[in-house]
Amino acid sequence: MLPLLQTRIASPRSLDEALELMATPRARAVAGGTDLLPNLKRRLGSASLLVSLHALSELRGIEVGDAGLSIGAGTTLTDVATSDLVKRHAPSLAQAAVLVASPQIRNMGTLGGNLCLDTRCRWVNQTDFWRGALGGCLKSAQMDPETSFKNADVCHVVPGGKRCVAAVSADTVPVLIALDATARVASKRGVRRLRVVDLFVNDGVRNLAIEPDELLIGVDVPTHAGARRERYVKWRVRGSIDFPLVSAALRFDLDGDVVKDARLVVGVLGARPKVVGVERVAVGRKLDAELATELAELAHRQCTPLENVPYEAGHRRHLLRVLVRRAIEALAQG
Amino acid sequence: MNDTDKTRADEPAPAVSLLRFRLNGADVSVAVEDHRTLLEVLRYGLDLTGTKQGCDEGECGACTVLLDDKPVLSCCTLAAQVEGRDVRTVEALAEREAAALLDAFDRHDAAQCGFCTPGVLMSAEALLMDTRRAVTMPEAAQALSGNLCRCTGYTKILHAVVDASERLAEEDAEHGAAS
Amino acid sequence: MTEPEKWQIGGHHRKLGAMERMRGIARYTDDLSLPRMLHAKILRSPHAHARILAIDPTKAMQMPGVIAVITGSDMPTPYGVIPWTPDENVLAIEKALYVGDGVACVAAETEDQAVAALAGIEVEYEVLQAYFDPEEALAAEETINPYARKGNLSKEVELAFGDVDKGLEDAALVIEGDYEFHGTTHGAIEPHCALAKVDPDGLLTVWSATQVPHYLHRELAKVLEIPARQIRVIQPPVGGAFGGKSEPFDLEFCVAKLSQITGRPVKLLYTREEVFYAHRGRHPMKMHYRHGFDAKGKLVAVDAKTLLDGGAYSSFGLVTTYYSGQLLCAPYELGSYRFHSRRAYTNKPACGPKRGHGSVQPRFAMEVQLDKAAIALDLDPIELRRQNAMGSDSLTVNELRVGSNGFLDCLAAVELASGWKERRAKLGFGHGLGVAGSTYISGTNYAIYPNEMPQAAVQITLDRSGRARIFSGASDIGQGSDTMLAVIAGEELGLPTEDIRVLSADTDLCPVDLGAYSSRITLMVGNACLDAARKLRKKVTASVAKRWECSAKQVSLVARQAIDMNDPARRVDLVEAFHWAEADHGLLGEVGSYDTPKDRHGSYRGGAIGASPAYSFTAHVAEVKVDDETGEVEVVKIWCAHDCGKAISRGLVEGQIEGSCYMGAAEVVLESHGVNAEMGGLHHGPSFLDYRMPTTLDTAEIEALIVEAPDARGPHGAKEAGEGPLHSTIPAIVNAIYDAVGVRVDDLPVTPAKLVRAIEAQRALMGDA
Repeated sequence: MLPLLQTRIASPRSLDEALELMATPRARAVAGGTDLLPNLKRRLGSASLLVSLHALSELRGIEVGDAGLSIGAGTTLTDVATSDLVKRHAPSLAQAAVLVASPQIRNMGTLGGNLCLDTRCRWVNQTDFWRGALGGCLKSAQMDPETSFKNADVCHVVPGGKRCVAAVSADTVPVLIALDATARVASKRGVRRLRVVDLFVNDGVRNLAIEPDELLIGVDVPTHAGARRERYVKWRVRGSIDFPLVSAALRFDLDGDVVKDARLVVGVLGARPKVVGVERVAVGRKLDAELATELAELAHRQCTPLENVPYEAGHRRHLLRVLVRRAIEALAQG
Repeated sequence: MNDTDKTRADEPAPAVSLLRFRLNGADVSVAVEDHRTLLEVLRYGLDLTGTKQGCDEGECGACTVLLDDKPVLSCCTLAAQVEGRDVRTVEALAEREAAALLDAFDRHDAAQCGFCTPGVLMSAEALLMDTRRAVTMPEAAQALSGNLCRCTGYTKILHAVVDASERLAEEDAEHGAAS
Repeated sequence: MTEPEKWQIGGHHRKLGAMERMRGIARYTDDLSLPRMLHAKILRSPHAHARILAIDPTKAMQMPGVIAVITGSDMPTPYGVIPWTPDENVLAIEKALYVGDGVACVAAETEDQAVAALAGIEVEYEVLQAYFDPEEALAAEETINPYARKGNLSKEVELAFGDVDKGLEDAALVIEGDYEFHGTTHGAIEPHCALAKVDPDGLLTVWSATQVPHYLHRELAKVLEIPARQIRVIQPPVGGAFGGKSEPFDLEFCVAKLSQITGRPVKLLYTREEVFYAHRGRHPMKMHYRHGFDAKGKLVAVDAKTLLDGGAYSSFGLVTTYYSGQLLCAPYELGSYRFHSRRAYTNKPACGPKRGHGSVQPRFAMEVQLDKAAIALDLDPIELRRQNAMGSDSLTVNELRVGSNGFLDCLAAVELASGWKERRAKLGFGHGLGVAGSTYISGTNYAIYPNEMPQAAVQITLDRSGRARIFSGASDIGQGSDTMLAVIAGEELGLPTEDIRVLSADTDLCPVDLGAYSSRITLMVGNACLDAARKLRKKVTASVAKRWECSAKQVSLVARQAIDMNDPARRVDLVEAFHWAEADHGLLGEVGSYDTPKDRHGSYRGGAIGASPAYSFTAHVAEVKVDDETGEVEVVKIWCAHDCGKAISRGLVEGQIEGSCYMGAAEVVLESHGVNAEMGGLHHGPSFLDYRMPTTLDTAEIEALIVEAPDARGPHGAKEAGEGPLHSTIPAIVNAIYDAVGVRVDDLPVTPAKLVRAIEAQRALMGDA
């Protein structure tokens, strides 16, 4: 087995209690645990206190109100995937949620947890023995400061790189950004709101603009009037379990068959999702096969997959173009 | 070699709590170190070795148990997280679904080495409890897509799950017709 | 008086022990626990090739709960599953030979403490140049394995039969090609585990998830330097093996040694990562083939050059090297044949036997070569194979005796089931059918260690409650060998399988059996079981006949009764019959044996390796859909017809066919086992996430078709079914891909990236033409 290091655990019954505990130095929040536990077992990161959120029913729930479609961060991915409200107001989010990992992981994992999924890299997501043999890297060294790694300032993906480019790999993230969602983040200091796109910073070691004592508590997706077509595109080698190797979210708001507004957000590149500048090309155009090809080409030009996740970057770039084109063609058909 | 009576003065004491939860239909309370996973507590703390460890990293499904009737990976669940909740393991499959599934698995030869089977049965049981009707092969495949099997190629497993669901549906129909 | 119908053989049976396994009642090795048990962990080398200068366990010994630390010098005797190549130590002594090679082992009160203690064992290494490419290794001055006798050449086999050069010269068509098969591993869901204890009188008991309790027994005695009679090896139910648990491993010796030192039971469970380091999986092979055909498509000559990448230790490598050439001489008549196989040591996890041991890779090449010939000759690929099929009771070009041969029936079965003739031309671009055939051994005549004793033995006793007890050394690794033995015995003795207890794989209680490998159990142990059961049957029927005053020949034992076939109203409960027999003969116990025939192979050196009492035959048709833009291959359906001689229990045979097809398909498109040469030989990804095994959503529909061409040498004509059906899955899929998109990928795996490149290259070529 891979035993965890000794740590304490607390299971607060209220959000206030949780936030109080999060102020403890080196406290880590754990909801489903499907990302955190494997990482901790491999000594990727550590915690003096695990604050389990499982008993916080106030973090669970899906409703439509003034803020739009509001989803508690503690809502499981299964619940997001099967929710009638989500399917109606944000179908591409339901699509993304049902594609995460495996049924068991969807039952455990939460929307908040997926948003906060650690970045991934073939040189990092391995056991401590393996990373030690490698000599570590930028991310390894920072996540495991107790160990001295001979390659502590090396990036194995970008030679000479000084900034970690581990890839954001959460399925729901590109979708939430494409839908202009807002995140609600709480701490003892109060609740702040920020656009989901602004949650992400370009640093593979810590790609979230969330303080160590803060908790993501919910996400609001604006509801919309008018015709909208949206889709989440995922490619992985197997049909289940695997993280995305190609990940893109599409959204078109239409007036008749003319595009009023468009978004294309691509994940699994670097630490931050890429918002591809499609509005210039798409707005005012008919949603058709020709537009599909152009936008796919645009995505291909603007997005550079790296040899961070375990599949050839060149092929992933090729697939991005093919799959985005096909997805838009399908959306064009209605 | 050291003497077997080893002083542990240097070792910081692990945090231990009393964990109370419902396990296979009975209330249990057990002293558990904070950093233990549910899988460790089941297998090594409670000697319920039916739940298997295939990878301990959340990637194979062999450790699947039901938590509040939902299949979860016990290797990625902290024991403390089941406080006050309902856990079921292969040692106590839900009676009705269990009888149908075990019989179908046996008739179809759906278990070869049997190591993945407890986890598979938990996922299958949840599917049958959720759907309460005959399921299709694709539905069974989806429900079991988080359970790796290396021996069977899944064919007989999926047929057995569909078969079990059909028999349960027949029983339900008979009961419905009878009442 | 007619011969009674077989009432058990060929039916469907509930598998013995299945309920216990499914319900989580059966105790696999890690489910076992003993009082005061210690936990052990192995410290492994982070270097692919390094001299071990010093190991200092002082810090570890001071850590909480640590009881003992051992290193390589505590067990200096080298060993190896093949007695001619004992080239490994339990823990590395002089050098670590790959990333993951064990160098020390610690035992502590808890697993937490053992894991923590690894950091307290200080090892001083001198890093050496490492070799990851077999050709580079062969060319290198430096020898990797300290016990190797020929530098980095682990084994070389060159055999020739007939005049190949002339055959190729005179051939109307020569197909020449380079083929590469990557590495794959077993991926059994149960990780290796071993538990040892020593009794006050010194008796050592080792429980291990092994396929080969007998070989483990021998090697434990050798390495621990204690007599074999002081050791007991027990194999609990095993959670899958596929050849990955068919030799002794470090953990087994470590727990034994630590148990002797500490006087306490010691258990060691591999992490999933460690299973990848232990490996012993399929050898990567580089193959160069030339096939010569006459104008009609009849094979006249085959020339093969093969380079096997063996990894750091020999494992079964001597045998693998032979198999890579010897096992390809059926199901087709080759005319003349020459092969030259070399196995190289490299600084990687050792390769060994994986389901289909040594012949899967060459079979892939052979069957693609045949496909290319069929295309060149404008022949239906199935027709070409028919034309070249050898018959039954024939001799292969390398002098192996083939007995029964259902290959033509297999071809016909898949041809029909897949709608080959009607559908093949009609499938559009991107949709294809492919065919391939193969053969495999039902056990090997070659005893791993030379001896004159029978290869298999079974002891059966009958008791007064009407039950039979079978004592068999055979390892049921999930394939159902216990059930197979019960069915055979039950058939003879009139007992349903519920009335039969099988005690297996305990060296104290059971006869020696060589283990579950090379698909030997049904034929060899089955025959031994049949032998013992028939002896008992004779005693029982004689005692009944005596009391009925009739001939024993008319007494039939079936369904818990003894029946007079001349007067079926006269019958007696089997319990009574057993009592009569025990009254007449005393305790009813018989031993049955089986030894492989000595006359079924050539007398040249190595002629026995590849020889088998009987050969199974297989044909596959695979249907694929290829997305030419993304390169994704969807294997839609696999039809597999497998000649197993006689299916003793149909469900078990189907299960083996289905499991084999699933595993073979995974090797074409999904799985890839290897190390990163640029990163010091680190494994690409030693986890079930990175080593992608198919989920339910990645597995084709599989149709298993049982073909029966009974072989006189098999029990009831039975031959193997555990490994044969895997072989032709691979080339059938590869050939189907060609049929779908007109593109060949001759180096596996066929990844989407490779396929897209090949399709685009093809298009560029066509564009330029």
